[in-house]
Amino acid sequence: MSQLEKKAGLLRRTSSSKKPLKEKVVLMYDEIFAKEDPAKNNPRFWDELFLMKVNLEYLESKLESVDGEEVQRIQDNINSLFHHCVQALGEEHQIKVVNALQTLCALFRGVHQKNKSTSGFDIINMLMGFDKAEQRMKDLMERLDSLLCGDGSESLKSLCLKLLLCLVTVTDNISQNTILEYVMINSIFEAILQILSDVSSRGQHGYDAVVLLALLVNYRKYESVNPYIVKLSIVDDEPTLDVSISLLTVQYKDKEEEHQGGFFSTLTSMVGSMFIADADEKLSVQTNEAILLALYEAVHLNRNFITVLAQSHPEMDIPTTPTTPTPTTPTTPLGTTPPSLDMMNNPELPLDPNLQTSNLLITFLKYASIVMQDTKDEHRLNSARLCLIILTCIAEDQYADAFLHDDNMNFRVNLHRMVSFWLLEDTLHRKKAVDKNIPSRPLVCAVLDLMVEFIVTHMMKDFPMDLYLRCVQIIHKLLCYQKKCRIRLHYTWRELWSALINLLKFLLSNETTLLAKHNIFHLALLVVNLFNMFITYGDTFLPTSNSYDELYYEIVRMHQVFDNLYCMVLRVSTNTGQWKEAASKVTHALINVRAIVNHFNPKIESYAAVNHISQLSEEQVLEVVRSNYDTLTLKLQDGLDQFERYSEQPKEAAFFKELVRSISLNVRKNVSLNTLSQDILLKEFSTIS
Amino acid sequence: MADAEVSLSPALRALHLSPAHSPPPPPPPAGTMAASSSSPTTFSCPSSPSSASSSSSSSSSSSCSESSSDCPAHHHHHHHHHHHHPRPLPPPPPPPPGEQPSSPSASPRSSSPSGSIGSTGSLGSSSSSSASEGIGSSGTSSAGGGGGGGGGACDPRGPSPPLDVISEDAMEMDLAVDQVIDPEVALKACQEVLLQVQLQNREVPEQQQQQQQLNNNNTDVTESAGPQWDAGSIREEEEEDGEEEEEEKRGSVREISESTSSSAAASKQSWLLRLFESKLFDVSMAIAYLYKSKEPGVQAYIGNRLFSFPDSEVDFYLPQLLNMYVHMDTEVGDAISPYLIYRCRGGIAFSLLTAWLLGAYSSDMHISTQRHSRGAKLRKLILSDELKPSSPPPDAHSRACMASVSGSPATSPSHARRCHRRHNSSSVESSLSLCAAGTAPAKAEADIDVFVSPSRRTHQRSKSDATTASSGPGAGLRRTGSNPKVEAVHEEPDRLRPQRELVKSLLGIGKRLATLPTKEQKTQRLISELSLLNHKLPARVWLPTAEHQHHVCRVPHTQAVVLNSKDKAPYIIYVEVLECESFETSPVPVRIPETRIRSARSAENLDCGVSAANAIANGGSGMTSEHRAGSFSTVPNYDNDDEAWATDDIGQLQVETQTSSSDNISQFSVDSITSLESKEPVFIAAGDIRRRLSENLAHTPTSFRRDPEDPSAVALKEPWEEKVRRIREGSPYGHLPNWRLLSVIVKCGDDLRQELLAYQVLRQLQSIWQQERVPLWIKPYKILVMSSDSGMIEPVLNAVSLHQVRKQSQLSLLDYFLQEHGSFTTEEFLTAQRNFVQSCAGYSLICYLLQVKDRHNGNILLDSEGHIIHIDFGFILSSSPRNLGFETSAFKLTSEFVDVMGGLNGDMFIYYKMLMLQGLIAARKHMEKVLQIVEIMQQGSHLPCFHGSSTIRGLKERFHMSLTEEQLQLLVEQLVDGSMRSITTKLYDSFQYVTNGIM
Repeated sequence: MSQLEKKAGLLRRTSSSKKPLKEKVVLMYDEIFAKEDPAKNNPRFWDELFLMKVNLEYLESKLESVDGEEVQRIQDNINSLFHHCVQALGEEHQIKVVNALQTLCALFRGVHQKNKSTSGFDIINMLMGFDKAEQRMKDLMERLDSLLCGDGSESLKSLCLKLLLCLVTVTDNISQNTILEYVMINSIFEAILQILSDVSSRGQHGYDAVVLLALLVNYRKYESVNPYIVKLSIVDDEPTLDVSISLLTVQYKDKEEEHQGGFFSTLTSMVGSMFIADADEKLSVQTNEAILLALYEAVHLNRNFITVLAQSHPEMDIPTTPTTPTPTTPTTPLGTTPPSLDMMNNPELPLDPNLQTSNLLITFLKYASIVMQDTKDEHRLNSARLCLIILTCIAEDQYADAFLHDDNMNFRVNLHRMVSFWLLEDTLHRKKAVDKNIPSRPLVCAVLDLMVEFIVTHMMKDFPMDLYLRCVQIIHKLLCYQKKCRIRLHYTWRELWSALINLLKFLLSNETTLLAKHNIFHLALLVVNLFNMFITYGDTFLPTSNSYDELYYEIVRMHQVFDNLYCMVLRVSTNTGQWKEAASKVTHALINVRAIVNHFNPKIESYAAVNHISQLSEEQVLEVVRSNYDTLTLKLQDGLDQFERYSEQPKEAAFFKELVRSISLNVRKNVSLNTLSQDILLKEFSTIS
Repeated sequence: MADAEVSLSPALRALHLSPAHSPPPPPPPAGTMAASSSSPTTFSCPSSPSSASSSSSSSSSSSCSESSSDCPAHHHHHHHHHHHHPRPLPPPPPPPPGEQPSSPSASPRSSSPSGSIGSTGSLGSSSSSSASEGIGSSGTSSAGGGGGGGGGACDPRGPSPPLDVISEDAMEMDLAVDQVIDPEVALKACQEVLLQVQLQNREVPEQQQQQQQLNNNNTDVTESAGPQWDAGSIREEEEEDGEEEEEEKRGSVREISESTSSSAAASKQSWLLRLFESKLFDVSMAIAYLYKSKEPGVQAYIGNRLFSFPDSEVDFYLPQLLNMYVHMDTEVGDAISPYLIYRCRGGIAFSLLTAWLLGAYSSDMHISTQRHSRGAKLRKLILSDELKPSSPPPDAHSRACMASVSGSPATSPSHARRCHRRHNSSSVESSLSLCAAGTAPAKAEADIDVFVSPSRRTHQRSKSDATTASSGPGAGLRRTGSNPKVEAVHEEPDRLRPQRELVKSLLGIGKRLATLPTKEQKTQRLISELSLLNHKLPARVWLPTAEHQHHVCRVPHTQAVVLNSKDKAPYIIYVEVLECESFETSPVPVRIPETRIRSARSAENLDCGVSAANAIANGGSGMTSEHRAGSFSTVPNYDNDDEAWATDDIGQLQVETQTSSSDNISQFSVDSITSLESKEPVFIAAGDIRRRLSENLAHTPTSFRRDPEDPSAVALKEPWEEKVRRIREGSPYGHLPNWRLLSVIVKCGDDLRQELLAYQVLRQLQSIWQQERVPLWIKPYKILVMSSDSGMIEPVLNAVSLHQVRKQSQLSLLDYFLQEHGSFTTEEFLTAQRNFVQSCAGYSLICYLLQVKDRHNGNILLDSEGHIIHIDFGFILSSSPRNLGFETSAFKLTSEFVDVMGGLNGDMFIYYKMLMLQGLIAARKHMEKVLQIVEIMQQGSHLPCFHGSSTIRGLKERFHMSLTEEQLQLLVEQLVDGSMRSITTKLYDSFQYVTNGIM
């Protein structure tokens, strides 16, 4: 925290002499921190100051070291410094602009570090003075806006974004950052969008811009009207969205490739199911949180975005992008010109026969399949949760559903599957089959696969109940859509059924441990209701009549699980306790399943007895099932095809608050690292000017 | 104007010849006439514009002066002087018809450039050919036909009365068109030359004789068509005023010809002319003469005459015209180019079509010559978008352009050059024209140059205008009018670009797809590429294969499929268009984002306004639950409030339950909702669910299975109507009343020129059969050649290939018919069977005549009405696949086909053979029309179908002109018999199965 010593050390190194020979800029800083108006003796003080190379460390530490009394004393000078910084942003001399930007960074950071505890208003007063704050910030935002949108140097734009990121992340809790109120009033949303929509700037600043946007959207999102939320929700410029999407794609791809390497090596060495969690890996997961958050906000807030999400592109040409982030990816049509003018301007997609066609959704699914493999660490858990939340939003969106189910749009999605020891054989087996020939199917199959995969692979002691709930709800939403639209998906539902039954089994066998932490009845209810969907509405969405028979077969085959579940919930519901009600719901939900079991089991047994067969084959059981439907009566249950819509507030608010906090911390850390190394920048401008 | 000279009557001629241009009976017209008469021979008459105008009588002055004001007008003037016609000028200036008064400037404008050219042309040609005779005849011709033809030609573009009217009543036409002088003049010159030549050669083509007979028979017709001299004379006089200039020119021409002399029997020579001028003279004949005649005069005449045909008729022969333009001698090219350029100015569609075809037809030339070829140059010119449409008074413009261009090629080279020098003094100019008369034929560039060098030209023009500015109020206007270039400078950017870009990206997609290994990858790629395309739509682009004017507004990209082809990647796309008045001028539809169709919660809803609201209304009301699967996206959100996110699903459910019929909606959703209220337990039988499931599955229509290796089968099998409805429901534009769905196949790497040729032949035969009332059924599908290795094809709707039928249904063809249409005795089956027979007969003939090969089942489609349709004419005439020599039979007739026809002894089979006989007889009758199409295209072509020297002869022989009908009948029997027995058909099928997996 207080790094004064370190700063001093640095200082010494730069001056490289035993006697601390102070740089001129440091002397000037000292003048600022004196009582006198520094311009009093030297009218050109401010001009000169911004020609000096900024010493961030010194300035920040100086600010930190100022104590309450002094603050009052030197406030005028600091206000003046701030004012001149803003003024300098309008200078033609780019060195001055750069220095001013960096000085502002230092000011924001230094002031905040000093005043961790104090209220935002004091900070504003200290930096700008209450009376002038509004005007100052307006000027600042306008200058930044014009710098970002102008055709100036890219490095300059980058620095502007860094400043903004710095400003946004100075507090741990973004909503406590009072200065952002001015950023709300003086919106730079358009500037951010423009950066995202411009092909060249997107490559260089896209990441920063997206993170910045994601953070700004989260500023007091529940308490007040956040203009960034409003604006983000109404962007309907498809090309722009498209551009930002492809940026995200690139980011995802990057990460995914990383993981892929890790994953495959893990797989081949059969070490286990975890990634090698080195520091880099951690970092990347954290940075991914920011991008996932951005994706979430876009999906959640903007309906048009779903369209874009579904828009397919050939997969990005990754090898070229990581090294040179210059956007050679010409996938994106020029966003701003009206369609008729830039008509077909850039219709060329990168041509490589080896490239699979992809779209963000596919990339996202693949990414999610990686993220969800390991949920042990908190960041990873957060990422997985965020992925599932995004999928929830998608599954609720009509348009996205239409796309997911479009029979004409078939894709091969290579999901990453976990090899866990206790399922090793099974999974390996599957893995092989999968690798050989992934069928090209509507995307929803991939989503379902992903859900099945998750269900199967996370039945562990440290049970991620929340993720399971989300997972099952996603499946439910998809089924509701299929039922509503009578879409008969050719999916191997059996895999899902058996995964769900296995899940119930797991819940039963770990009842005591799980009940200590979770309401397992809620999950059990959801699962049983999925079966009820199939049982009562199967006629509307099952692909073949045979699949309905198979459903019965599966239930009857695994009847013990249902029997045990029934016993368990009956037991719990008859006792008085906190789970009484939850358990009794499950008992009611089990009516039809039990009816099936009770109806067919005797039939099958008698069939076996009559035919003197000890072990009936599947075909024989199916035969029995087919011939005995008519005597079975089912009860129609209420609201099977209704679900609770996703809403961020209040349920998820805490999660997002924490997430934003963690992202803020992370960004702050990275930004400070980055801003310190601006030598290149300075060189660039000194040579130019 | 033209009609003025209609008469053959010696008297009139005498009148014309009479040196004294005495004022016409009614009021003696002084002015121009007098002036011209005074110095009949002086070409160099240096009469300045002003003098000319002043000299002209007051009555005639207006038009005269105007014409004179423009530099080129000098020509007129000076011809004018030669004008020997004693045209009686009606005392008052001719009542200007139609819009004439309103645009006085137009007349000089249009007349000036063309006029100069035309007149010189006439000079040149007449002098060169020493046209002695013509006068009388020329008089005639120019009078009736000339007027009808040339004059009429100009006008259909203008607001003036339509061509037919004109040709039928030359008077009217004249009045209306009076401004357009030059083509007329050129025309007459040609005519004269033509006649002279004929006289000299003493050869009268047989057609001409026939035509003469025709003419005799149709005297009345001709009379009505073109004003006869006697009838017209009076009228002519009336018009005279308006048309002095023309008259003058004509006069000059005539004078020259006269001077050369002999006065032979004009009537005889006029036969050809009479033919040309007769109603029977259609585009087909024009093309034939253009191709066969080596006489520049004839060619030039026809070049002009092209203007008089409806665009659509000429368009059919565009490939022929362009091929001639590219590959034949300069005279032909010169004759055509005015027309081409005129039409290119007229429309983007024509321009692009022409440019594409030019490129394609030039591709067979050696690369070095190609670059400098006329075709390449014209192509470049078109693509440079220099050929802008003319502005405000469009008729005047176009005429001007047309005239100016038409003059030069029609006559002599110098004209073009002269255009540039128009600003020279009249004396210079006239002398030039004199010189020019004798010079070599024009270079192709010359006339093009006129247009290519706008700057130069404008410059000169302004100069010339400056000198004459005082002469009339129309001067300023005139500039813009006569020279579109001037205003082109200020005009909007490239008109052709959007469409070219569209085509480019479509073809680019095709090329990239070809590199992908599997169908599946191709399809995915295709879809994603098309989705990008959507970002740029709507735009001022259209599908050239469509009938109606429209703008493309959206490509439902997920519907596109890759077609079956081994190494190329042709694909079919569906395109949503909005019909409009004219894609060039109507405003481009506003983009509606995909998501608009679902009412979004976002604030943009506020301004998205009516269209979205409509969409919602439409979607809501039009939707039945039956459509639900397809139409989910049109389902409106009824909640526009904050809760939109959370409730739209439920909202929809309720709406559905209220509006849908009980049958289609899931009963359970009804139940579940009602049960919510009643709380009464509802019981259902598991058996019912199971039964409903199998019933539902059984009820789904007979669609093809989805096969990743054959993605097109499913897409093509879906009935068109259903597809349209489905796509419309999913489209944000679907609610618009002018919404249409079109489809097109994009082909890359395939030369479609042969396909185009086949299309033309098919169309020709189709119309012949229609004309002769033979109920043969064929389906020519439109072909768009875009280069020698790319193009587009209009898909045949509701049709799948026999291969797909067989593979998917696993049935014999007959059984498939029974499955699709019902049992033998049903109306549906019988209709389908009749359709099958009629189409079989049609295509059997086609296959025989054109020697269509590669007839495997993948190339024969079956439509939902039972017609077969042959596609892929890649191997016709002299070429066959890989020269394996399979398929020696005349056409493909398998026993399966015969089975569908009811067996060898069935009535339908006899009907089939009878149809073929009738079809052959009819085709034979019009053989020339068919031959001509093919023959012209052979010029300079390296297409495989023209391989060898006997292509045309072979084709001709297959019409068996020499056989009697009985013999023909025998021939048909033989052909049918031979084809049926042919083992090669079978052999070829199995060959295809082995090599390409086509069943």
